Amino acid sequence: MTTAVVPVAADAAGRESAPGRRRPRPRLAPHRRREALFFYLFISPWAIGFLVFLLGPMIFSFYLSFTDWDSFTAPVWVGLDNYITLLTDDPIFLKVMGNTAFYSLISVPLGMVVSLFIANLLNKKVRFRKLFRTLVYLPHLIPIVAVALIFQMVFAPEAGPLNQALALIGIEGPNWLMDARWVKPALILMSLWQAGGGTILLLAGMNGIPKELYEAAEIDGASGFRQFWSVTFPQLTPVIFFNLIMGIIGSFQVFAQVFILTGGGPDNASQMAVPMLFDEAFRFYHMGYGSAIAWILFVVIMIFTAIAFATSGRWVFYESEVRS
Amino acid sequence: MSLTSSPFPRRGLLAGMGAAGAALGLAACGSGSESGATPKSDESHKDFVMTVWGGEADKAAYQARIDLAKEKFPDYTITLQLIPSENYEQKVQTMISSKTGPDIMQVAENVNVYASKKQLVPIDDYLSQGGLDLESTFGPVGANYAWDGATYGVPDRSGAMVLYYNKDLFDEAGVDYPSADWDWDAFLDAAKKLTDPAKGQFGFGGVGWWPQWFSLVAQNGGNVLDPESGAPGVNSPEAVEALQFAYDLYFTHKVAPTSVDYSNMGPDMGADGAFQQGLVAMNATGFWGVGGNAAIEGLNWDIAPFFHGAQQAVSAFGSALVIPTAAKNPQGSFEIIQFLTSAEGQAPIADKGQDVPANLELQESDTFLDPEWLEADVDLQAFPDSADMIFTPKFIPEWNEMQKAIEDAMASFWLGESDAQATADDLQGRLERVIKPTK
Repeated sequence: MTTAVVPVAADAAGRESAPGRRRPRPRLAPHRRREALFFYLFISPWAIGFLVFLLGPMIFSFYLSFTDWDSFTAPVWVGLDNYITLLTDDPIFLKVMGNTAFYSLISVPLGMVVSLFIANLLNKKVRFRKLFRTLVYLPHLIPIVAVALIFQMVFAPEAGPLNQALALIGIEGPNWLMDARWVKPALILMSLWQAGGGTILLLAGMNGIPKELYEAAEIDGASGFRQFWSVTFPQLTPVIFFNLIMGIIGSFQVFAQVFILTGGGPDNASQMAVPMLFDEAFRFYHMGYGSAIAWILFVVIMIFTAIAFATSGRWVFYESEVRS
Repeated sequence: MSLTSSPFPRRGLLAGMGAAGAALGLAACGSGSESGATPKSDESHKDFVMTVWGGEADKAAYQARIDLAKEKFPDYTITLQLIPSENYEQKVQTMISSKTGPDIMQVAENVNVYASKKQLVPIDDYLSQGGLDLESTFGPVGANYAWDGATYGVPDRSGAMVLYYNKDLFDEAGVDYPSADWDWDAFLDAAKKLTDPAKGQFGFGGVGWWPQWFSLVAQNGGNVLDPESGAPGVNSPEAVEALQFAYDLYFTHKVAPTSVDYSNMGPDMGADGAFQQGLVAMNATGFWGVGGNAAIEGLNWDIAPFFHGAQQAVSAFGSALVIPTAAKNPQGSFEIIQFLTSAEGQAPIADKGQDVPANLELQESDTFLDPEWLEADVDLQAFPDSADMIFTPKFIPEWNEMQKAIEDAMASFWLGESDAQATADDLQGRLERVIKPTK
């Protein structure tokens, strides 16, 4: 988007005859009109895409969430019934939202710690560093469907490598995917395998930290850990914050893993919001009910993201920022 | 990198949009349609679209049949649209809702999702005009595709579930091959002899899938769904007794692998795969096992009709052809369907080994029983022999919700963590919540 707009704007600013002086809306000179025309022309794919594929369906789904619609016959207005049923009378919805929150609130922080740890290791001047970086990022490139099939084997109760490894140290591993208590931890474990995506961003962030900061810290006698905690970590907080926001949004929308690996089972112990929404709307033909789930999920994600933003002032530091 | 604003609202919005994105497609004109009497046919409309699900083998068989139909109706152009099975329901839902529905459509257990919402053309008038008697042409499955007193579908494919057995394992254990005479005791006796924990070998593949345990319930005189109203009755004494028999297969006699056993055998492993590897000696499944097993070198196998209980009853896997209300020329659609479901029109189903043709005349003919594509000496007669035993649960509009309720409620049952009565009571409650009986 920006690439298309910026040159036009810069060009315009350069030829502005009287910058800074406020004028009533001037009539545009012909060349300015052409530029404006080009602006709308270039922006239109995104604007139209947003209106047609995002805003339009959003408004429509908001309307649908107040209706009972089987997608074949005309929608029937039911007011707040869908929301009331979901929040007070649905046998699984609250459990599903609980599952989703559990998954998100554990997998996101855990994933961030793991990716930060790996990034810090890979930032050291070790041999085969590039190879390790590649290996760490590789799982992130594997399609989630393939990952799910691999983990179906990994989690197998007796024949699976995970439980065989646990058996070596004398632990009898659980029946990961079929035990209501272990199926969510299993999904979280699987999400950690893909922590390499966050690692790459953190590594890029680490490369951008000025060397002088470390030199100064070393002169002051800071230990390796102290350097990490007082230099690396604060400098990385913008990237960590980005990972956090993306992690919250992504994990609340978890779909494919659940859909392929467990189908939400056993007895909805691993059912999450989006797979439930999909079932309601596209398997059970309750389009209105599904839309209501979507909007509740939207609000929940908004709230968690807002909390993250609200607290970010306390722990996210930007380089240009001066703190008293 | 601008971290403060841009990524978040946009992606946040996306979150809410999961359903609605697809809903927009449906939004344009998802309105009701008038129902009741046979709609008018626009006879000048001669382009027909037919939607079916499946893979390459299905495509070949359907295309061959459509080519035959084109010879029969030179004026018509018929276009086959093959949709992968897992997307079929969503795809036709979108097509119908946006009034771009097909002229001929394949349906199965989901038929009354559409019929109950007035999306299908009732074909009773066409049937009497065309002189097509479903009961005599297709047997008991002829009555499957009806809703609220009207008929909507002509059966197209219909193969009973049959019992596949591994001859080598039977010979080793010195057990007589299965036959239609087997009752529960004879079956259990054989299954016990064919189970050998030392070799990781099980007598039977199990009954955890609905066509399997629904059959047991029906054999015992019970009904998971009332044949008339569709009301659930899964905690009746007959049904509970059948579930207890199923439970004992796994946990008392240990003749069938539990889902834990299967997951230890390999990824995505089920009874069909375990049978092919010689890990289970008997397996109850559909016609597709014939092609699957024939491809396994060294597997020495045959099929027999499923055993019986107090009564004979066995599930079948089938589908029908229906006419959506959006079809412009339903009269023409019906003519094509009538031809496609005739012995001549279904012949490629048998020739190509795709499935069991629903037409009984064809099922009994050598085209089906002694096909060229099958080298193995397999007694396909088991399929026509089972045709009279077929029972079909009522195809309720809430079929998919019922499946979900069954899967949820029975997860712990199949792991041996809850007993038959408690599971049946729990499932009954869940089914009552989602199923609205018709009367």
